[in-house]
Amino acid sequence: MSVTTDPGAAATVAAPGGDTPARGSRPWPVVAALILGLLLGVAAGLLIPRFTHPGNDSAEAGFLRDMSTHHAQAVEMSMLAHANSTNPRIVTLSGDIALTQHGQIGYMQAWLRDWDLSPTGTQPAMAWMPDSAGSVVNGLMPGMATPEQLDSLRKASGNALDVQFLTLMRAHHLGGIHMAQEAIELSDDENIDWLAQTMVSGQQSELALIDSLLKQTQGS
Amino acid sequence: MSTPGPERVPQSVKVDKTSGQGKPPVSAAKKAAGRGPSGKTPAGKGGGKGRKPVTPVKVAGSRPWGPIAVAGVVVLIAVGIIGYGVFAAVKGSRGWEDKVADIAGVTNYREQKNAAIDARDHKEGPQQYVTSPPVGGAHNSAWQNCMGDVYDQPIANEHAVHSLEHGAVWVTYKQGLPADQVEVLKQKVQGKEYTLMSPYPGLDKNVSVQVWGYQFKTDDVNDSKIDQFIQDTRLVSSMEPGAACSSGNTSTGPLAPAGAPGAAGSGS
Repeated sequence: MSVTTDPGAAATVAAPGGDTPARGSRPWPVVAALILGLLLGVAAGLLIPRFTHPGNDSAEAGFLRDMSTHHAQAVEMSMLAHANSTNPRIVTLSGDIALTQHGQIGYMQAWLRDWDLSPTGTQPAMAWMPDSAGSVVNGLMPGMATPEQLDSLRKASGNALDVQFLTLMRAHHLGGIHMAQEAIELSDDENIDWLAQTMVSGQQSELALIDSLLKQTQGS
Repeated sequence: MSTPGPERVPQSVKVDKTSGQGKPPVSAAKKAAGRGPSGKTPAGKGGGKGRKPVTPVKVAGSRPWGPIAVAGVVVLIAVGIIGYGVFAAVKGSRGWEDKVADIAGVTNYREQKNAAIDARDHKEGPQQYVTSPPVGGAHNSAWQNCMGDVYDQPIANEHAVHSLEHGAVWVTYKQGLPADQVEVLKQKVQGKEYTLMSPYPGLDKNVSVQVWGYQFKTDDVNDSKIDQFIQDTRLVSSMEPGAACSSGNTSTGPLAPAGAPGAAGSGS
């Protein structure tokens, strides 16, 4: 406390003595300081976001966009099962998946918006993953169901619906986990690593549940 | 101590000047002029005006550099913050709307403030729309599934407009367009959530793409402005951020008769 007040007191004492005589010749340093400050501010404004946020072509942005697409289909399949299944365990699991992944889409979209990046990329799907060549078929990322499979799921009912849902979601989770693991590998962004890690652990534990439910439903 | 000092330095000049004698000041001025170019000395000016050389020396010694530096840093930071604020404000103002406005041929219906287009009510039964295809207005409570769905038959406007409200890009083409051209359009939609595609009877151009409040029409399926439009508007044009494209109606054809609300989605 006393250390900080001492220089302050010294400064205020010294100030009145020096102010009066030099006032007439002061404008140039002030103007120079204003201009310099303005330039520094603009420069910092330009540079800081680029240093602190991943760019438009970064692995982070690619992951957020592609995982949003990937998640959206999981939500679609889960909502179909949630609405049409008669098995309470499937209804619960599909509701859980739909709500979780729709919520995670919100996180991912919000970060893109926060970083001033468009939710739609100019690069093809999966381009942010180095070994992804050929993994996108008809615009579908690994693990994603085809329009025909979705159509079949839409029309299914009873045990056939449950088995189709579990089978499709199993493949979907495997593809999603691979993407999330790749994101953790490529990115050192705290948010990305945190969310991707929760996807890996969450979906891995769901895979165990899916496998046990598959055994049950296929057996019945 | 005090006696030799004043006699050697300027003070002696001062004494001569005030005494009014001609010679000593002149010789001093000559010496000063001779030294002038090689090195500036107070004596140079001192030759003419006796008192002034003393003043600058005095001020330089007592100038409070500490407060000046503190004030300078404070001013610098303040101006920097203002400068950044201005910059951020200017940069932040360029959103997707500005990007769409740069695409030649896009019609902006949002700026027209047309109540029939801006309406967002949910209404059962067939609706009238002021543009073809519609870009907004009252719509059915069920949206058309827009998870990159490619419909090979016309779909109900009342469902599609609800998809636009959710942030989807609706790609429509003149019914009867050659299959290879339809295939080109299909590549822009399939697998891409928040898009949907369907033929549109009586369309005045080969292709019309629309989001809520914006429309672009062209006869060329390879027009790169189609891709630009999709790129700049998909998702961000949503009137309900976070609203889904799944769980929508997937049947084609005109609207189901009023009284059979929505839910045709999971049916065949």
